[in-house]
Amino acid sequence: MMQEDLIPIVQRLDTLLAGVASLTERQRKQEELIAELTPIAKVALATGIDKLDALDKQGYFAFGKELIDIGKKIVEGFSPGDVHQLGDAIVQILEAVKAMTQPSVLAVAADAVSVVDDAADVKPLGIFGMVRATKNDDVQKGMAIMLEVLRRVGHGANVAAGQRAALEDKKSKLAGILGSRKQKRLGTERKALPAQAVTRSAVTPTPSGASCAPGKPQPTAAVIDGVAYTADGHLADAAQWSRSLGEALAEMQGVTMTQAHWGIIDAARSDHATTGSAPNIRRLTQIASVTTKDLYTLFPKAPGRTIAKIAGLPKPAGCL
Amino acid sequence: MPVPQPITDAHRKVAIICSKGGLDEVYPALILANAARQSGIDAFIFFTFWGLDAVTEKKVDHLHVNMAGNASSPMPTMLAGLPGMEAFAAHQMKKSMAELELPTVREMLQILDEAGAELYGCELAMKMFKRTKDDLVPQVRDIITAGDFYDLAVGAQIIFT
Repeated sequence: MMQEDLIPIVQRLDTLLAGVASLTERQRKQEELIAELTPIAKVALATGIDKLDALDKQGYFAFGKELIDIGKKIVEGFSPGDVHQLGDAIVQILEAVKAMTQPSVLAVAADAVSVVDDAADVKPLGIFGMVRATKNDDVQKGMAIMLEVLRRVGHGANVAAGQRAALEDKKSKLAGILGSRKQKRLGTERKALPAQAVTRSAVTPTPSGASCAPGKPQPTAAVIDGVAYTADGHLADAAQWSRSLGEALAEMQGVTMTQAHWGIIDAARSDHATTGSAPNIRRLTQIASVTTKDLYTLFPKAPGRTIAKIAGLPKPAGCL
Repeated sequence: MPVPQPITDAHRKVAIICSKGGLDEVYPALILANAARQSGIDAFIFFTFWGLDAVTEKKVDHLHVNMAGNASSPMPTMLAGLPGMEAFAAHQMKKSMAELELPTVREMLQILDEAGAELYGCELAMKMFKRTKDDLVPQVRDIITAGDFYDLAVGAQIIFT
């Protein structure tokens, strides 16, 4: 019974021993392999390090680093949407390149470029030479092609501008819905004109040649003693003038009337009666045969206006 | 007989600097000065640089208009630069001024002087162009420096043309 029990155990031991022997053999082989390989690996590693060092010296690693940086920048600079659009555009770009590199197109380009090589034979050209050159059929064709290219570029630009404008429109609408940001406009800080100035300009008549006709009264701003005056102190109606009124008006202007003064006033009144407008200083010098100097001596402050006021005429028109 | 009281505005004064000698550049200065005098405003003109041509005896009757580079000119700039175009443009402008009975520059200077507007030449520009007071029209009262200009312009509104 003991022996019978021992048989399977001995059998198991045999198998175990065989396994251990096989393992030992493998281990030995591995050790041999390592012993053989170590010198080779050492050499290989040394060579590898040298190789990497050489690469580094040639700048490959710096280059690689830069590439990574560029990649990073691209990722930072473009949104996924942009990349998606680029994907769409790539096909178009490739098609454009394909169209540009067709042999026929390249031949034309090469021929055009060859002009630069033959530049020595090309004569200088003036403006009239340019005009003459347009008679040549080839030049005409070239010009037409250039214009067509320009037209298409312009059309494309217009379309792009239209799209941008539509986008801006959308943005502004959105901004309108969300409530406007605080915007500062130039010039808005300037105060509005005082109300007084506005009313004054509304009352003051704008004198022009047509409105100076005799018998056509000017807008009245004040009535003193039954005589109507305009806002700037001229008589509203020249017909209301009398010599005594003229005397009083002259006194108010600080002018003491003499025979010479009256001569000029009379000339101004008669000129107004014929032309329909108050004479300016230049005209007064012609109609009253006096010099400019005389007028400034007789009526020192603003002679043209002073004379018109005393003579009961509207403000003289014109710059002279 | 009672009449409206005169408007007693503060004493007004304008100082006009005329620095260019084109016909179209000189007239505004002269007309503004004249209008000031007509409105009872004291006025003086300081002629400097090319503006001196307007008061130089030999140049005053031959001022030109430069159409080249003038966006308002009906003449293309390419043509406006051709010889004789300045004289032609000046001739045309003088013709339309004569139709308006606008005085010539020389007459305007005479009128201004009589109206009591003061005309001055710039000392530095006179030296630069090698001109003396004898080269200028008689209406120019004096040759002054920029500092003198500011002394004269106390209380004045300054206009640069």
